[in-house]
This record gives sequence, structure tokens and C-alpha cells, in this order.
Amino acid sequence: MDVGFSMSNSEPGQEPPFEQAKKVIQKFVQRQVFAENKDEVGLVLFGTDGTKNRLAKDGQYENITVHRHLMMPDFELLEEIESELQPGGQQADWLDALVVCMDLLQQETMGKKFERLNIVLLTDLNVQTSADQLDVIINSLKKAGITLQFFLPFPLDGEDRADGGGDGPGPSAASARPGKGLSSQQTQGLEMVKNIMTSLEEEDGLEEVHTFRDALEKLSIFKRIDRRPMAWPCQLTIGSSLTIRIVGYKAVTEEKVKKSWTIVDAQSHQRDDVKRETVYCLNDDDETEVQKDDTIQGFRYGSDIVPFSKVDEDQMKYKSDGKCFSVLGFTKQELIRRHQFMGSQVVKVFAARDDEHAAVALSALIRALDSLKMAAIVRYAYDRRSNPQVGAAFPCIKEKYECLLYVQLPFMEDLRQFTFPMLENNKKFTPSESQLSAADALIDSMMLVEKDEDGESVDVFKVNHIPNPQFQRLFQCLHHRGVNPDDPLPPVEPWLKRALERPQAVSARCQAPLQDVKTKFPLKVVVKKKEQKTSADVFGSSADEPDAKRVKVDEEMEFNLAEIAAGNITSVGSVNPVRDFCALVRQKTVSFDQACQQLTHRIEQLLGNRSPEYYMKSIACIQAFRDQSVSSGNAELFNSYMQSLKRSVPDRNLQEFWDLLIQDALTLISKDEVDGSTISKQDANQFLAFEQKEEVQAAPVQEDTGDVDDLLDMM
Amino acid sequence: MAEWRQYYQNEDDEVEEDEEDSGGYGRDSLVFLVDASKEMFIKSEDGETSNFDMTMQCVRSVYTSKIISSDKDLVALVFYGTEQSKNPRNSFKHVYVYHDLDSPGSQRVLDIDKLLGEKGAQFAEKTIGSGETSLGEALWCCSNLYSDIKLRLSHKRLMIFTCRDDPHGGDGAKDRQARTKAADLKETGVVIDLMHLTKPGGFDVSLFFCDIVSPPEDESELGLQIEPCRKLEDLQKRVRAKELKKRSQSRLTFSLGEGVNLAVGVYVLARTATKPSAVKLHRDTNEPVRTKTRYFHAHNGGILLPNDMKRAQVYGKKQIVMEKDEVDEIKKFDDPGLVLMGFKPMDRLKLHHHIRPALFIYPEEEQISGSSCVFTALLLKCSEKNVFALCRYIPRRNTPPRFVALVPQREELDQSQTQATPPGFNVIFLPFADDIRTLDAHVGPTASDEQVDKMKEIVHKLRFKYKSDSFENPVLQQHYRNLEALALNMLEPEPIEDLTMPKVQMMDARLGPLAQEFKDLVYPPDYNPEGKPAAKRKTVSDSTAQKPKAEISEEELKNHVANSTLGKLTVPVLKDACKQFGIRTTGTKKQELIDALTMQLSK
Repeated sequence: MDVGFSMSNSEPGQEPPFEQAKKVIQKFVQRQVFAENKDEVGLVLFGTDGTKNRLAKDGQYENITVHRHLMMPDFELLEEIESELQPGGQQADWLDALVVCMDLLQQETMGKKFERLNIVLLTDLNVQTSADQLDVIINSLKKAGITLQFFLPFPLDGEDRADGGGDGPGPSAASARPGKGLSSQQTQGLEMVKNIMTSLEEEDGLEEVHTFRDALEKLSIFKRIDRRPMAWPCQLTIGSSLTIRIVGYKAVTEEKVKKSWTIVDAQSHQRDDVKRETVYCLNDDDETEVQKDDTIQGFRYGSDIVPFSKVDEDQMKYKSDGKCFSVLGFTKQELIRRHQFMGSQVVKVFAARDDEHAAVALSALIRALDSLKMAAIVRYAYDRRSNPQVGAAFPCIKEKYECLLYVQLPFMEDLRQFTFPMLENNKKFTPSESQLSAADALIDSMMLVEKDEDGESVDVFKVNHIPNPQFQRLFQCLHHRGVNPDDPLPPVEPWLKRALERPQAVSARCQAPLQDVKTKFPLKVVVKKKEQKTSADVFGSSADEPDAKRVKVDEEMEFNLAEIAAGNITSVGSVNPVRDFCALVRQKTVSFDQACQQLTHRIEQLLGNRSPEYYMKSIACIQAFRDQSVSSGNAELFNSYMQSLKRSVPDRNLQEFWDLLIQDALTLISKDEVDGSTISKQDANQFLAFEQKEEVQAAPVQEDTGDVDDLLDMM
Repeated sequence: MAEWRQYYQNEDDEVEEDEEDSGGYGRDSLVFLVDASKEMFIKSEDGETSNFDMTMQCVRSVYTSKIISSDKDLVALVFYGTEQSKNPRNSFKHVYVYHDLDSPGSQRVLDIDKLLGEKGAQFAEKTIGSGETSLGEALWCCSNLYSDIKLRLSHKRLMIFTCRDDPHGGDGAKDRQARTKAADLKETGVVIDLMHLTKPGGFDVSLFFCDIVSPPEDESELGLQIEPCRKLEDLQKRVRAKELKKRSQSRLTFSLGEGVNLAVGVYVLARTATKPSAVKLHRDTNEPVRTKTRYFHAHNGGILLPNDMKRAQVYGKKQIVMEKDEVDEIKKFDDPGLVLMGFKPMDRLKLHHHIRPALFIYPEEEQISGSSCVFTALLLKCSEKNVFALCRYIPRRNTPPRFVALVPQREELDQSQTQATPPGFNVIFLPFADDIRTLDAHVGPTASDEQVDKMKEIVHKLRFKYKSDSFENPVLQQHYRNLEALALNMLEPEPIEDLTMPKVQMMDARLGPLAQEFKDLVYPPDYNPEGKPAAKRKTVSDSTAQKPKAEISEEELKNHVANSTLGKLTVPVLKDACKQFGIRTTGTKKQELIDALTMQLSK
């Protein structure tokens, strides 16, 4: 990169070429870092105040600095570019710099294999160059197989410059012309660039000369995730005797981000500081822990759980006899529904490489299927360990090649036959003629395939050309955070946002038809009546359900029965905590505080399951807690428990449970009920409402951090 | 919807969440109320199966499919019009609760097996017998079954199987009682269906049962299933259609733009079924154990709460740290929903643009009224113009967008007037640029017309009508047979028929000499497609084009030695370097070469 002083010159309001070039390099390195390939990158600056290169001798190759030797790009390089890359005060010959780069490449690639050696030159060409060595340089570039790319602040072609850069008016054209035109050095430099490029690559060479602005646009897209396709050699069989040697490749599959997030300690940012532990425990009151070695595996078979050890399972499981691609039969393509494609990939099947007999045989099959509009139904097994599939192999004939496209099809077990009410002949929903024509007009106005001047239809919204926004956004954020660790995350890049929106031309075109649709079709959001469900309703409407309210009524009777049946109650168990709790309070064998503590312990356990079956029980417990608190005139314990419970709702994902409390109006105990309460009737009424903003306000009584465990300890 | 989740394993982070209002948690329940009167046991004219037998086969198939697909659902089997009585409080005469409401297990399947066929009829005669009929009592009994369940039930259904359209023979009081009890049941949310079976002279629903059954979900359904079931297949299909409660995966807004929004439900009609995950059991008691996962600090052992942890990734040798919230935020682009981008002709939907099984959408009138009308208009017009709608799809909060093609699908009925394909749009996921791999296509010679024609004959001989439900998954089937064998203490599992295996003998027979004829046309006599490919003969240019000698300067080697990065060099380079410096090496292992060089150069 040229960092010479002319690179910092710009018209007022324009970004100097230096800054643009720096951005190009940043974006480039950034892409490399996130693509995580093995490419190596070096950085040579010229026009620097100092000199640091191997060739510098006797005043030659001065003001050229090898900033970074060839190595895999990393964040360090990105940070250096960000902070250390400064404009220099000198000028240096870009041809000299080119020679330094060539030397660097030759020296540092020795003994290693590289697919391609490339020099990217970013300069404004605004320096006197000595062209006498040009031929030698071109020759040695050719000899070493080094390719060249130029990035300039202005376009290559003078005419394009004159009429605004060719591919669009606006700032790019303006910034492309510092001053009225190019300096004589620049004009001379341009001639040399053309000379070099054409002699290196003939005419195509000029395509490797770019402007900074173009490059920035292209580079702002992170490299798509690129994977080398793995060949899957196999044999296509038809019956027992007809075999064709084939090779399959995954052609389309949903690409995932290569890396996943690791969990690190919030303070130290060390991964090793966090240990994860999984314990097994019985489903009993004490959650008795069980050693992993003391567990075996089982499977549900309806209501039964069948113990089935891993060894037995492996021995008894379905065994496939290895990889295969066997035709089961042929069928009409139309019988295979597009929406019943299964799996997550499409495999392209070719004849084995360099086997012309296989190629002919497969070609015969592909062409036969194509002309009959049929497809092969095949059994496909990737290898011995993988499950067999049934899928379809469609013929695919392209200009350059032929292949089969294999897609997995469903098993009977994969399908759900739902029946939906009919739409078309349903009087309520049948659209009128005018409604239909409004829909018709809307579709016409929103076609994404247009005819161009030559009458060719052009797809203006090709999804398969859009990079996955998830990766783009992730890399953008990672890069930003990597360079600016303390900044908040940046907004989504505008180009990415645009790529996900309806094309502007289509948006403009469909305005009127959309308005028409809007007026012709009445659409109304149905405001749901806030159903006042009680918890009993939610949990099934049976009258025999142990409804929270009934518990209160039946209390006396139940206790008597319970006492007869179970003898004396000494603690709150998990089976019938309400009964136990009420008994404890009545018997006064333990203090009220203790009974409450035991009860809340059970409630916490029940809520820990976060399963609706247990919510019912918890509600009953809270009801009993409240009733007993009121009757014993002690509001403090109940109120503080409820407040801490409320605070824990968001974290523990208990909103649904809380809604049930609301429906049963199980709120704080107010002054009106118990004299000692510090809660007014109004506060109590408002307590259950869960407005995010009021959260802090609603719990003013307790000043502690509000952890439920703390509260239990306190009690 | 635990059962759905278990059966249909989720793809990594793509957790399917069911909307609470679409049923929430809670279990489905189904009561089979089966007429056990003498009429049910009469064999059909062709002397094959009685209505009773057909019903039992149907019940059995529901049981077994429930065991596999939704083992948490509750099922009961109750007979009415019996001689014997058996019910929880034995308060109902002539009602026999064969199976209480519970999740079906292996034993229940065996119980049903006892009622099948000729022997089954005798067994039924002995144990339950045929007697007086009071549908009212039977319904009452069923309502008690429901109320005895302490679990939350999300979907309650009762199916009456009978071939008598006037069960009480004109007894007005009994009719009235039945109507009242049916009304009570419906009041508590039970849906009552009639699975009426053939009877000589035809089954007249209007005589009595029209007052018993629940009104159909929509008017259109009325005309459909008025015919009684004659065949087991029909009965099973009808039961299956009713028995499965369709559930939307989510309900979303479908925005056409400019504030024109409709509501749609998103349904999963096909998803790869996998083996349910294993349950951990305690070795001694076979009691299920729960797992608890917790994070703690490696040094002080303190439990780490979510706030004490952050997320990190390493790129370019640097660890980049984010909060959990930020990791979620990165994935957020917009609110969940479908946003219309525009339309394209169907031929722009490429066959090979497939990355995931499709979804299905259907309008949700209860959320935005008028949705069905716009939806229907779009469906009709898209299908007429042969276009699909391209939409941006965000299924859930904090989920990045995908583009999908909404392909119109009009309703189709089969011969028995049952819906074969439902009306709505299929949602086809489209690949992004990253999802398409660049392949180096193999180019080879193509076949001649003669060869193609021969293959056409082969294709013709082996053609069949593909149906998507004709293949069972042998892996799953084997798994359940194994479980069944273990659960029922069978000596060995019932063998499965692997439908995915090619029927080679049949194919060979059908092809006759065609296979050989084709081979003669495409393969030379000495070619063996099954053998290993012949070792590639090295081409002349290959052998002469020796790899250029890699040389390395002394200075560079010294650098490597100083930085101890010699290991980065390849063995040939190291060997050459040794030669260059005249170093004698005892071995040829890389480490030995490196050691030798290091010795020499650090002198």
C-alpha cells in the first residue's frame, strides 16, 4: 500500500485515497480472518518515512517498509492496521515496491506449497517511476507465476472518468478526479499499469484494475462459507446385474457457522474457569443424587419404560449392509411432491471420474429418465453406520454436464396427515370477483422476474446470490467487538438491510395495487377478550380436580381423614404439602415460621420442575400459605415470599405460573386483612400486575437482592 | 406437546416452540366407545370381518401408533350394550370399561389382540357379552373417566363406533338421557364423533345420532363423511384424520406490505422422525432419573449464575467476548413473521434448491378476521397464474431470516371424498449463496440414442406408482420391535420387512435379458463396473513433471531454527536442507531431520 504524502491529498469533504485504501485492506484482512482459510498475507508499505526491507542498499529501495511478513492474518494485524497504519511523509516508486513484494513472496514461500501468489497494489500512482526495469519485472512476474491486482483511486479508463465512472454517477465519479484531471505522473503511471497488466494476462488483465470504491463495496460482504465438496464414490445398481460406477457430491446444504460459542467466566474471560457438571438425581423429595455409573438407559414404549442397555441396543438395532445407491423402481416425476422433499441436502451424482463407460451408462439413464419425465426411487445409505434413506434421483441435463439430483423422500413415519377445512367453496371466505382481480393486479405488480431490453427475463431477486445474513451480521459484530472491546454492537450494515428488503422498483410499482387490496379486503385484528380463566380451567375443567379454592372448604374433613390415615404429621412432604402444612400449623408441633419455611421449600421444588402439572400444586400451596397467614395474623412471611417470588419470575421463566396467580387473585396480604401488614389494599391489588417498569417499584419493602434462596435462609 | 417434540427431534438450535394458545401443554385424550351389541358381531355378507372386529383392528392400530408417536396421550376403550358391567364405581350397568384412560402400553395392545378375529369374538362373548343398551349411562361413565384424570387435558375426544342408528329402539327416556349426557360432555370440551359402520338398510344419522355428535368444525365438513365405513382402510383413515389434533407450530403475521397483514398458522406436515432419546434409569430400581446441569467456578467451586458467564469465540488468534444477550441480539433482524417480497413464475423454483423439509401455512381467522378471504384469493390467483410468492420468513424471536417460496396448493379429495391434499401454501426453504457448493462437474461422453432407448425399456419395465407413505423407516421399526420384544418378554423381536431394500429377484425377472443387452451396448466386454477402478496409468507428462526442487536459504533456515519453526517445513525440504549442509542423518523421520538441522545450525 502506498502511504506516500500524495495519498493524503483530497478535495475538501472528500475522503483521502489513503483512508480509502486503508479500508480496503481492513476489509480484505477481515474477510480472511473470518474465512479462516490457510491463506497467508504480508503487508508492504511504501512512501514511509523509514526504510525496512531486504533489498535496501546504497540508497535503493528506500522508504519501503515490510510491515508484516507472510503469515496467516489475525486480529493483531487488524489492530495494527487500525492503529499503526499512518500516512507517511515521503514518496516511493511503486515499481520498486513491486520488486520488494516479489522478493518477499519468493523468499517466504520457499519450501511451501501455494496455489496462487498474488500482489495487490494500492496506490494513486502519483510518483515519478523509472520504467527502464519494466520488462525485467514483467518477465520475472511471469516466471514466478505471480499475479497482480491494482487498486486505484480513479478508474482506469479516461472516458469513463469523463462521463462519471460508467457504472453510476455521484460521489465515486467526483472523488475519482482529484483536481481537474490526473497529474502527468499519474497519466504515465496508468500507461505503465496498462502495459504491465496486458502483457501479463493479455486483455483480461485490465479487469484486475479496480477502484477503491468498487472494491470496498465488494469486500464489505464477508466471504461466503466455502467448503471443498467431498466425493462419495459408490455404485448405482439396477437389479442384481446392472451396475454403474458413480460419485456423489453434496451440492446444496444448509451451511452452519463453523464455530460455536464457548462459555467463559464473566470476569476473567477464561474458559477454563467455568466447569460444567451434570448430576443425576431421583425424582424424590430430596432429589437424591445418583452416580452416573449407577444409571442405565431405557426407552419409553407407551406408558412403559423399557430398560435397554447400550450394548443390547447396538446388538439388536437395524443393520445396514454398507453404502448403496440401489434403484427400487422408476416413477413419474409428478408423483413426487416438491413439498415432500426431506433431509437437508441435495446430492449431485456423476459417473466415476475418468470412466467413460460409466459416463455413457449413466448418461443413458439420465437421458431416458429425462425424456420419459420420470425419476428413480432409490435406497441410499451413506455408509455402514448411517441410516438408510429412500429418495428420488432426478435427471439433470445442463449445457456442460449431466447428472442425477438425489433428494431424500419421507418415510411413512415422517408424515402427518392433517385435514384442514376447505377454503374455496366456503361461503364465508370465497373472494368476490373484484377481490380476485385486486389480488391478480397485486401479483402482476410484484413480479420479481422482469423482461430486459432483449426480451430475456431477468430475476431481480435471486436468493441464491444473497449471502446468509446471519453470518454477515455475526462476523460484523465479532470484528467490531474484537477491535473495540468496549463498544456496544454496531447496527446492521445498510447494504445487508437493503438486501433483505423488497427491491425498490417493485415496492414503487405495487403501491396502488396494494392500496386496492387494502380497501377491498376487510382485515381486522381480533381483540381477544381477556379470558378470565382460573387455574382450574386451565388445568382441565373437571369438577373433581383438587381446585385451590376447594382445598380451603374441604380442609377440616381432609385433615381428619389424613390424620387417621397417616398418623401425626411432622413435616411438609411433597405428596400433599398443603395438607401437611395446614396440619403442622394447627398442631403447632413446629413454629409457624418453620412450617412456612418447609412449605416454601416445597413450593420452590415444585416450581423448579416448571411443568404445569406442578403449578396446580404450587398454587394450592400458596393459597394455603396465604389463608394460614391471614388466620394467624402474620402477613410478613407471606408478603416477603411473594415479593421475592415475583422478582424471580423473569429469570425462572415463570410468567405462566404468575398468570395463574393473577387469575386466582392470590396477591399480597393487605392491612385490611392483617393489621401488621405494611401493604395497603391498593398496593396489594396492583402487586400482581407485571409491568416491566413497575417491577422495581412494586417491591419496595424488601431491600435485599431478592434471591429466593436468600429468603429461605432468612426464614 | 412433549410427544411431538420427542418423536420429532429438533435440529440443533431450531427449537420448535408451540404457541401456548394452540393447545399449550397438556395431553390429548381419546375414548373409544364401542357398541358391543349382537349386531356388531354379525359378519358382513362376504363373510369376512364383523364390524366389531374391524373396530378392534382400528383401535389396535391407534394404540400402536400412539405408543410410537405420542406416548403421553391418554386412550380409553369402553364398551356399551354389554352383558357384563365393569366401571370404576360399578355404578353403571351394561357399560364395560376395558381400558381406563391412560397412556397406551404394550399390555394394552395384547389385550386388544385377545379381541381380534374369531377367537376374539368368543372371548368378547365370554367376558363382556351383549346386553341392554343405554348410551346415556355409557356417556356418563365416560365423563367420569375424564373427570378422574388429574392431569391437564388439552384435547378431549370421544368416538362412538356403532352400526345401530337407533340404539334404544324407540325408548324416548333413554334417548333423552343420552342427549343430556352428550350435551354435558360437550359442555366440558369433549368432542364427540360418530364412526358409524354399515348396517343393512343403511345408517340413518338423523334418527338419533345427529343430536349426540359435536357439530363439525365448519360447514364444509358436513357433506363429506355421511357415508358409513365399509372397509377397515376407510375407518382407519377416518379415525386417523379425527384423532390427530392439528397443531400449528406457530402463528404468524403475513405482511403483504403497506400495513396489509393477515394471520397464518404454520404447520409441520413432514419432519424426519427419529428414535426418541433414551431415558436414564437408576440401575437398582429402573426408576427414571433427572439430570441437573450446573456451572461452577473451577477454582473456588462457587456456583456460577447466568450473569457470571459470557460467551466467546476465537478468530484470528483473538478471543472475542460477548454477553449472552448480545449473542441473541446478533441473530435478531426483525420481528417474527412472513413478509412478501414479490412473486415469481413456478419454473424459477429450482428442484435442487432444497435445504429443509417444507412447512405449510393456513389462514388464522381467529387472529385477524378476513385473513381467510385474502389468503384464498392469493391461493386461487397464484395457482391460476402458476406463480409462487417469495417471502422473508422469521419463525421466532431472535432468529435470522430465511427466504421461502410459498407454493400454492389447492384442495384435492380422493375417491372416498376424504381430503388428500389440504388447501394452503407449502413453504419451501430457499438456499442462500453460502448453502450452494461449488462443484467441479464431471464431464464425460454422452449416450447414443440406441443406448438411451434400451435404458428407456428398462425404466419402463421397472416403473411403479410412488406414494409418499409406502415406505416405513426400517431403523425405527426395528427399534420399536426390539422394545416391544423386551416389554412383552418375547424371545426375539418380530422380524420387520425392510421396504427400502430393492426387490432384486423380482427386478431381475422383470428385466429379463434387457440388463445384459444394455450392458453389451455401453460396456466393453472386459469392463467390470463392480471391480476396483484400474490403477490410474501415470501419464507421461505426469511422471516428467517432477516437483520443482524446493530450496531454502541458509538464512531462512537459521531463522526457523531460532524461532523453532522448522516443523513447518515439509520432509523433502528438510532432507534437501540436510544435503545442502552435508549433514548426515541417521533416520528419515521428521523430528530426526529437525534435530539434526538444529544441531548443525545452532553451532
